[in-house]
Amino acid sequence: MIISVENLVKKYNGYTALDGLNFSVEAGDIFGFLGPNGAGKTTTIRILTTMIKADSGNVLIDGHDVFREPLAVKRTINALPESSGYYEWMTAREYLEFFSCLYEEKASKQEIYKLLEVVGFHGKEDHLIRSYSRGMKQRLGIARALVNRPKLLFLDEPTNGLDPKGRRDIHDLLIDLNQKHSTTIFLSTHLLDDVERLCNRIAIINYGKIVRTGELDRMKGKGTIEDIFFMSTKEGTL
Amino acid sequence: MKPAYIMQKEIKESILTPKGFLWYILTSVILSVLSYLFLTNSELSLLDQGEMLYMIMNFITALGVLIGIVFGADSFAGEIERGTLEALLLSPVNKTEIAIGKLGAALTNWGIIFVISLPYLFVVGKGAQNLLIGIAYLSILGTLLVITFSAFSMGLSARIKSMKNSLIISFFVFLLAGSPIFLSAAQRGTWFGRILDFINPFADAINTFDSVVIDSQGFSYQIERVVIICCYTLLSLWFLKKSASRLEM
Amino acid sequence: MKRLPLLLSTIILAIIGNYALVFAASRISVSIDPVFIQANMGDKITYTGTISNNSDNVVNNIIAYISLANVTQGQESPMDLEDWSANKAIKVDAIPPHGTYEGKWPIRLIDSGSYVAYVMVVDKNDNIPVSSAMSRLEIKRVLRLNPNNVLPVALGEPILIGTVFLFISFKRRKGLRSL
Repeated sequence: MIISVENLVKKYNGYTALDGLNFSVEAGDIFGFLGPNGAGKTTTIRILTTMIKADSGNVLIDGHDVFREPLAVKRTINALPESSGYYEWMTAREYLEFFSCLYEEKASKQEIYKLLEVVGFHGKEDHLIRSYSRGMKQRLGIARALVNRPKLLFLDEPTNGLDPKGRRDIHDLLIDLNQKHSTTIFLSTHLLDDVERLCNRIAIINYGKIVRTGELDRMKGKGTIEDIFFMSTKEGTL
Repeated sequence: MKPAYIMQKEIKESILTPKGFLWYILTSVILSVLSYLFLTNSELSLLDQGEMLYMIMNFITALGVLIGIVFGADSFAGEIERGTLEALLLSPVNKTEIAIGKLGAALTNWGIIFVISLPYLFVVGKGAQNLLIGIAYLSILGTLLVITFSAFSMGLSARIKSMKNSLIISFFVFLLAGSPIFLSAAQRGTWFGRILDFINPFADAINTFDSVVIDSQGFSYQIERVVIICCYTLLSLWFLKKSASRLEM
Repeated sequence: MKRLPLLLSTIILAIIGNYALVFAASRISVSIDPVFIQANMGDKITYTGTISNNSDNVVNNIIAYISLANVTQGQESPMDLEDWSANKAIKVDAIPPHGTYEGKWPIRLIDSGSYVAYVMVVDKNDNIPVSSAMSRLEIKRVLRLNPNNVLPVALGEPILIGTVFLFISFKRRKGLRSL
């Protein structure tokens, strides 16, 4: 198990965002994390990536306690948050070099060029980030998330705002990462098409609780992914 | 090493973008106007060289502190507003290391401002008997004050997470620290005015400059004031550490 | 007719009495030196006030101070000597009978124009203060375009910093290919 979450609780000013969350993710999964707006997806990702603390519960990432060993967790994981900003005055190469320096094993110039090639930067690595399109910035964000060759990658709406070709390219990249490099991917998204194409296991969260979890192929036997989603998240389901 | 990379990134941003460089140019223009005013004005030019040197030292200190406050307010809150802090927090750098890197960059900015000021100090203070010792005190006390106010502004930035609000509060604190200077000598001479002057780090620095440059008094006269400034510096650093370690997205 | 001598005597006595009073009040006299100065703005000059005790008794605790008045056409006004002189008033403990005291008043010439300077002496045992004659002071305005050689720094440094910034920007743009 690369992720183990037990009884996770998080409250904001009396409002319960996570209400005893329980789930796990196996190494090598592309794990889809679905839920309606306000269900607790982003809060969950933020806790798992050590951005915020929970009120109670246990979270282990690759055997490390997220609350007690945040630095060890950060060495193992990386993430592309939903709304990510960039240092617009840098080039893509400078940006990745900077983040690479913050890890123990600094990537060489060749490795950085290769990484940029993998995410689809062709000859634009020395352009200023402020001149990039949204799709290019998204690719750069993924490149940054891969700079430390993480075992576990968190992606929050990675194809948001991309055109169909851009989405397809990101899909191919993620499948490639998972199959060739054994990277576990934790994918939070609204786009059920993405889930269908990428994920082998999913969990559906609603009102801070997991309402359904399991292998996608098995779940699809009971209807389309859309049916499963709406059935799991309609009012009164809990 | 990680704070050094963060510091390097911040300094590069200052040098490669107008955001930082504009401050250096503005500082130079302000000091040019002041020096010319001091030296050519019919009454001010007839001030003692020591008095002119003292006045320009005060301006340089105030400029350095103001720039430190602006950079400090942007340090965490600005990155949050631009969406760049999360990527930084995802990397295996603890928040204190990020704060150290950013504070190092603020100090480097002060170093650049200080170097820019040197020619003006030599020109305005030409002939003043305490020029070199004055510059030495400016470098030390200016550095301590910049650390104090920058660290405070950065701490606020980490707590409030709004650049505008942390800048406003920091600026008001700076005005509060600077306000006794605008009072008359008579008002500052009252028992309450003397206490305010003594516990105010900015006033302590300015009074030290006065004592060294104009009255030619030695270090033994400055010890109490320097100790108070150092206490404020340590307090600010503690506030920054506490605020940064509690920072959450 | 008989009353005329009486009237005349009264008048003469009153005049003598008045002069006697004046004479008694003026046991001190003061003079200022030099009587005319022509100088430039920024110069430092020194006035000497000589206070004489014309009486047979010691005079104690007298105060002497210098005053300046601006008599430039259209700008006539008294002068505040705050920036001109650090020691405007002096106290003299004692001047022996028929003795003199020389007071010095160094003055820094802050502004141009026509002025008169005079020394006033106050003895609390007298009814009126005593003044010296006025000394004329003409101060010429000096235009200082580049005092202390400030211009190369005041103009040069902003230009230098701006040039450095433009150079760095140009080098960076040259090294990058912007879309």
